[in-house]
Amino acid sequence: MTPRRHYSLTLRLALVFALLAFALLATLGVALYRELERELIRRDDAALISRVDQLRNLLNDSNTLELIRNKPELFQNMLGNRESVLSIAAPGQQPLLLVNPGNIDLPAVTPVPKGHVLDLTDVQHLAGVNGVPLAALAASIDSGDLGNLQVTSGRLMTERTAMLASYRLSVYILAGIAALALALAGYLLVHRGLLPLRRLAQHAQGIGVGNLAERLDSRGAPKELLPMIDAFNTMLERLAKGFAQLSQVSTDMAHELRTPINNLLGETQVALHQQRSVDSYQQLLASNVEELERLARMLDNMLFLARTDPASALRQRQALSAADEVERIAEYFEGLASDRGMRILAAGQGEIWAEPMLLRRALANLCANAIKYGAAHSELRIEAMPTDEGLILRVSNQGETIAAEHLPRLFERFYRVDESRERSAHSNGLGLSIVATIMQLHNGRYSVSSQNGVTRFELLFPGREAD
Amino acid sequence: MNILVVEDEPKAGNYLLNGLQELGYSVSLARDGVDGLHQALETPFDVIVLDVMMPKMDGWEVLRRLRKEADTPVLFLTARDDIADRIKGLELGADDYLIKPFSFAELVARLRTLTRRGPTREEDQLHIADLHIEVLKRRVTRAGTRITLTNKEFALLHLFATHQGQVLSRSLIASRVWDMNFDSDTNVVDVAVRRLRLKIDDPFQLKLIHSVRGIGYRFDTQP
Repeated sequence: MTPRRHYSLTLRLALVFALLAFALLATLGVALYRELERELIRRDDAALISRVDQLRNLLNDSNTLELIRNKPELFQNMLGNRESVLSIAAPGQQPLLLVNPGNIDLPAVTPVPKGHVLDLTDVQHLAGVNGVPLAALAASIDSGDLGNLQVTSGRLMTERTAMLASYRLSVYILAGIAALALALAGYLLVHRGLLPLRRLAQHAQGIGVGNLAERLDSRGAPKELLPMIDAFNTMLERLAKGFAQLSQVSTDMAHELRTPINNLLGETQVALHQQRSVDSYQQLLASNVEELERLARMLDNMLFLARTDPASALRQRQALSAADEVERIAEYFEGLASDRGMRILAAGQGEIWAEPMLLRRALANLCANAIKYGAAHSELRIEAMPTDEGLILRVSNQGETIAAEHLPRLFERFYRVDESRERSAHSNGLGLSIVATIMQLHNGRYSVSSQNGVTRFELLFPGREAD
Repeated sequence: MNILVVEDEPKAGNYLLNGLQELGYSVSLARDGVDGLHQALETPFDVIVLDVMMPKMDGWEVLRRLRKEADTPVLFLTARDDIADRIKGLELGADDYLIKPFSFAELVARLRTLTRRGPTREEDQLHIADLHIEVLKRRVTRAGTRITLTNKEFALLHLFATHQGQVLSRSLIASRVWDMNFDSDTNVVDVAVRRLRLKIDDPFQLKLIHSVRGIGYRFDTQP
C-alpha cells in the first residue's frame, strides 16, 4: 500500500482561484460577445435591407435601367467596399449588372415577391467562403420593358468576423491574465494566512521534556486557530502534569530504596569489620532479611501499580458477600487493633462485585492505615452499604483531623502527610495509591474526608448491572 | 525426597542446593537447561524446581520436552510478574510457580505440597507434648487445662500443629489463616502469634512456638 500523498493547501487554493476566475471572466466575456455579435448582425442585415429596398424603389423607374447601362460606376460607388456584391438579372440569364469587386461567389437566393415589405427575417445567412458568413437578400422587381428582374445584394462579413475574432481573443487573454493574477494573489494570501500555523509548528517543535511548561502563543493568531492552540496547550498541561508525577515517582522510589540499601550495606560492612559471635552474625542476617523483605514488598507494590491491564481484573470479578468480607478483614486486624486498644466495629450487607484478592488488598490497606493513625482506645468502623450504583465500603477511624490540603494528595504514590514521622519497615507510602489503582481497575470511585477528628475513606464498587 | 534444581544463576543455584540439603533432602543441581533435561530424564526425581530464564534451553523448552516422557511435578521460578507467563507455564504442564523474589520457606512449603501423595486424612485428634487439640469440637487443652481460643487463633494453632517442625513464613500463614494472599505491610501475623503464645505457651514450661529469625515461625517440641 502506498501512503497517500499530502496535498498542498496553498497550491490547491491558488488553482481553485485561477479556475474560478477564468471560468467567471470567460463566461462573462462569451455572454458579452454573443450580445455584440447579435447586434452587429442585426445592424448589417438592416443595412442590407435598406440597400435592397432603395434599389427596388429606384429600379421600378424605367429611367434607372438606363442608368445601369450607362453609369454602372454609380452602383459601384453605392456599394462602397470590396465586401459587397450586387447583381441585377433576369431569372436564368446573365446579369444585367454585376458589381463584385471581391469576386465573391454569389449563390442563388430565392427572391422576395414584389409587394412584400422587407424585414430582418428575409435576410439569408449563408456559409460563404472559407467559413466567413455571407448575408444575402434578393428581391423581385418589375422593370416594365425588361420584365421581371431580380436584385440580389450580399455582403461577406470578413471585417465583422475579424473583429469578433479579435474580441474573442481579447476575452480569453484577459480571462487568462486575471486567472493568473488571482492564482498568484491566492497563493500569496494563503501562504501568508498560514504563516501563524508555521510559526506555531516551529514553536511546538521547540517544546520538549526540558521546557514542558512552555505554552503556544495565541497572540496574533487568527481566530480559526484559537481552538487548536487551546487544545494543544491543555494537552501540554496534562503531559506536563503526568510527566512531573512520573519523575516524582521515580525520584521518590530512588529515595525509598536508599534507606533499606543503606541499612543493608552499612550493617553488613560494619559486621565484616571484625570477628563476631555466631549470634551477632545471625542477628545481622535476620536484619538483612527484614530489609530485603521491605525491598521485595516495595518492588511488588511498584509492579502492581505499573500494571495497566484492567481487563483481567474485570474478568475475574465475582459476587462476594459484603458481610463476609467485612468480617474477614475485622478478624484479620483484630489483634493489631486491640494491641492499640482499638475496637473494630464491622457491619454490612449486600453484594460486592469485585476481584476478591484486590478487594481484600484495598480494604486491608485502608484498615492498616486506620489502625496506624487512629487514636488509641477509639473505634474503627468498617461498613458496607448497598446503593443504587453499587456498594460503598467505608472505613472510618477517630484521630487527628487531616488538613484539607493533604486530602487530595493522599492517594499519590509515596505521599506522606508528615515526612519525618512515618517511615517504618511496614510503611512505604504506597498503600493508598494501591487502593486508588484497585478502584480504577474496578471502574469504581474512592474518596476521603476528614472532619472533627474522624477520617473516613469510602470506596464505591459498581454493581454487576453497571457493566 | 529427591529434588532436581535447574537454575543457571550461580548464587541462586548454590543457596537452593545448600538450603534444601540442610533440610535433609537429596538434591541435584543442573546449571543449564540441557543438563537439567538430561538429568530429569535419566533419574526419577520426586519434584523439579525449574528456572524459566536460562541460556541455551529455557525452562519452557525443558518443560515441553520433559512432559513428553515423564510427569514429575514441576515448580517453575519466574522473575516476571506477568499473568500470561504464569498461564503459559501451567498450560505446558507445570504444577506450581513462584515469582522471584520468593521466601525460601515458601518454596519448601510448596515443594512439600507438590510431593504429598494422595489426599491427607485430616486427623481429628492432635497431640503435641501435653497439648491436645480436638479439631471438630474445637477444644484445646494443655496439661489438662482448657484453653479458649478465638476462631482465628484456633485456625493458626491448627496450621502450626499440622505442620509440626516446619518453618512457616508470614505470608503463608496470612494466606492459610485469613485467606490474604498478599504481603500486607503490617505485622498482623506477628501480633496473632504473640496472642496465641500468650495463651498456649506463656503459662507453661515447654515452649512450642519458636520464632525463626528473618523467616517466620516453627511449631515444635524441640527448641
